[in-house]
Amino acid sequence: MTARALGSRVGQAVLVLALAFTLAFILLQALPGDAVLIKFENPELGLSPEEIAAIRTSYGADVPWWQAYLHTLAGFLRGDFGFSIQNGAGVAGLLAEVLPQTVTLSVLAFAAAVVLAVTVALLATWARWTWLRNALASLPSVFVSVPTFWLAMVLIQIFSFRLGLVKVIGAGPVEALILPVLTIAVPISAPLAQILVRSIEDVQRQPFVSVVRARGASRWWVLTRNVARNALLPTLTIAGVLFGELVAGAVVTETVFGRAGIGRLTEQAVANQDVAVLQAIVVLSAAAFVTVNLLIDLLGPLVDPRLTKEVGLAA
Amino acid sequence: MPRFSWKNPLLALTVAGALALTGCGQGAGSAPTASASDPVTGGVLTYLDAQPHTSLFPPSGGFYPNGGLVNQITDRLVYQDPATLEFQPWIATSWEVNADATRYTFTLRDDVTFSDGTKLDAAAVAKNFDLYGRGDAARALPVSEAVNNYDRSEVIDPTTVVFHFKAPAPGFLQATSTINSGLLSPATLDGDFTFYGAGNGTKVIGSGPFVVASEKIGAEVVLKARPDYHWAPKASANQGRAYLDEIRYVVTPEAGVRVGALTSGQADIARQIAAPDEAVVTASGAHLVAAQTRGVNNAFSLRFRNATLSDIRVRQALTLGTDRQEIVDTLFTDNYPLATGVLGKTALGYEDLSAKLTHDPARARALLDEAGWTPGPDGIRVKDGQPLKLVVNEAAPQPRSFDVTTLVSQQWKRDLGVDLQILRADAGTYTKAVNDADQVQVNHTMVGRADLDVIKSNYAAKNRNTLLNRNLTDNTIGDQKLEDLLAAVAGTPDPAARIQASQAVQEYLIDQSYVIPLFEEPQVFATTDAVHGFGTEPIGRPSFYNTWVQR
Repeated sequence: MTARALGSRVGQAVLVLALAFTLAFILLQALPGDAVLIKFENPELGLSPEEIAAIRTSYGADVPWWQAYLHTLAGFLRGDFGFSIQNGAGVAGLLAEVLPQTVTLSVLAFAAAVVLAVTVALLATWARWTWLRNALASLPSVFVSVPTFWLAMVLIQIFSFRLGLVKVIGAGPVEALILPVLTIAVPISAPLAQILVRSIEDVQRQPFVSVVRARGASRWWVLTRNVARNALLPTLTIAGVLFGELVAGAVVTETVFGRAGIGRLTEQAVANQDVAVLQAIVVLSAAAFVTVNLLIDLLGPLVDPRLTKEVGLAA
Repeated sequence: MPRFSWKNPLLALTVAGALALTGCGQGAGSAPTASASDPVTGGVLTYLDAQPHTSLFPPSGGFYPNGGLVNQITDRLVYQDPATLEFQPWIATSWEVNADATRYTFTLRDDVTFSDGTKLDAAAVAKNFDLYGRGDAARALPVSEAVNNYDRSEVIDPTTVVFHFKAPAPGFLQATSTINSGLLSPATLDGDFTFYGAGNGTKVIGSGPFVVASEKIGAEVVLKARPDYHWAPKASANQGRAYLDEIRYVVTPEAGVRVGALTSGQADIARQIAAPDEAVVTASGAHLVAAQTRGVNNAFSLRFRNATLSDIRVRQALTLGTDRQEIVDTLFTDNYPLATGVLGKTALGYEDLSAKLTHDPARARALLDEAGWTPGPDGIRVKDGQPLKLVVNEAAPQPRSFDVTTLVSQQWKRDLGVDLQILRADAGTYTKAVNDADQVQVNHTMVGRADLDVIKSNYAAKNRNTLLNRNLTDNTIGDQKLEDLLAAVAGTPDPAARIQASQAVQEYLIDQSYVIPLFEEPQVFATTDAVHGFGTEPIGRPSFYNTWVQR
């Protein structure tokens, strides 16, 4: 990619981030109530309206929206994301603490999903018996229709509570990852496997496969050396889109397993309308999304050299 | 406070499905072991709570996860026995109250230190109550709900402190015993709202038997015992350091995971065991501890300033048309007794008003007819072309609130022809709606506190104002008599007269049909056989000082 093309991509990314920030701000401001209201006007605290008014002033919750926008934007540019009203912690610190947990979970879950998808797809296209091929090929539909929440509960009940193989409470760092990773990997693997199966079948119908076969290559050899490589590109493209699923999966999984992470933080921030936290999460997610898709665009030509022309790489 | 949850049908289905898959249940457990053995020092206890704490500022201790931690890391001036509700010396060795309860003098122990080494003296105690009694809006720190009419402190000498009040404050002695009055070190008291929030636990310094050792925000808090602790309340069997070395508070939002983790031995104690899960817990051989919250019962407050509910006949009809026994029988267990009055049976000043709380749908219908609400074509009553429609809030922290409100909604529709809608909303919409009598006419509430002031906390215009007697937009009071009766509870120095004042309020609330009491609300914990000596303070927050584990 030329420097100019790269610059344009980065410019697009910044624009997407700015739009995400603004949209999030507008939507969050449009919600009825605000975090100060929810936290301090909660009847359980029994504060008088005068006390609440004083607290609102001390929080700067009474300024007009455009002042709040500029203030928040300036803060973000400085790397200061404000404070969570719900628990008083600094948002930047909160994110720094939970981000590694979610990244570890997501990366491992994605890797597991790829392994699962490739295994299913290869077996589904290689198996000799039609019934087995059909059974394997229908697995993705089963995987995708399993609700994450239900899967998590079933995995916990069986492997932790019933068989006692993995602890959920008081588990070591590796042990604590096993069931959550599986929980997220299963639904993510479904579309990957589906597309892989479809594109392997497409590639297998192409003339060059017959040529290779005619020269004496085994089915497995053709599948792994020739077909799979060609079938990878559509799968890679969908992988970028699946990133969003990873985050959604983390919300449920982290809640069920009681893991600290971006998912849990999001769930709690939504429940309490903790605007500062939500604002930061939206921008962070947008940044991650933009980055992942940029990487996939850059990876494409490496997997399939034909793409270099379309991307416009100066050869 | 509404929160994200997976409750109700989805969870029930899931857990049922998961249990079916795993062959259901964990088999019979062993019988409870006798707790007669001598306490064992050492060991780690794992405690599961559904929510993470949000603040360690003691006046915010009403929120259970907060109070559950503050109770272990702070001491109080006075100890209130959870069984008898009597007061005993703790940090204060003695106290004197003047005749009109406007001046309290406390004499303190002189051998107590905070965990940062600073001395717990009269100046430190004065600084605590100056903050709790006045709050500090600039630091977004609210006034403690427990402290009323606070004026100032006066330090006489290092072991003597006097508190002055602007008006009689007979509830103050009890207030000094609550979690809301946990004593913090002077340096800690300089913190602002964010200082007490998540992630700062190790900086919040008290003199209690445990200290916060580490914290994973939103997931886990670890407490460690203080080896030099030796200032327990006189009544305590243990006078030295806590038996446990360590307590791990693990946040486990999923009810199914809490129960499963406990019954499979991965945790020792779990809080918030829902009524339908109680059988699973006992079947596994674990034990239930149901601690009463000793306050205003779980109830519906009828907002009488709303046009529809301003007619006492309508309020009477709603009370008579509510089958409270059916709620207790179908949704709860023996740990949730039917309410027999405004306060729980174990609350101070409780008065049995069950004779006035009968179920009589025929009489209820007659009252509605009399009030001009006639049956409409779809069964819902109508007056002047308007249907008899009301809204009740789902109170997420209360046990099975949605199920309770749903059942009442069915009863009212079937027996009375009243359309009761349930408000389930995001936190912002919820807070706005609940504070407006024209959006939420029926308020599902409860509050626990082991003092006569509890009734004032729930109904007084300047406190929780659950009846919205004070309109929050124009500040007008709808029923001044109720306000006066509540003020008498908080401001009558003579103990016997104060009980009478509380009972006058209880009777008035029922006679006016302002309140439909439903059930007495407990805090239900489950513990395994390994746990001994687990107890709760007077309103059901866990106390681990006398707890030990033997595996």
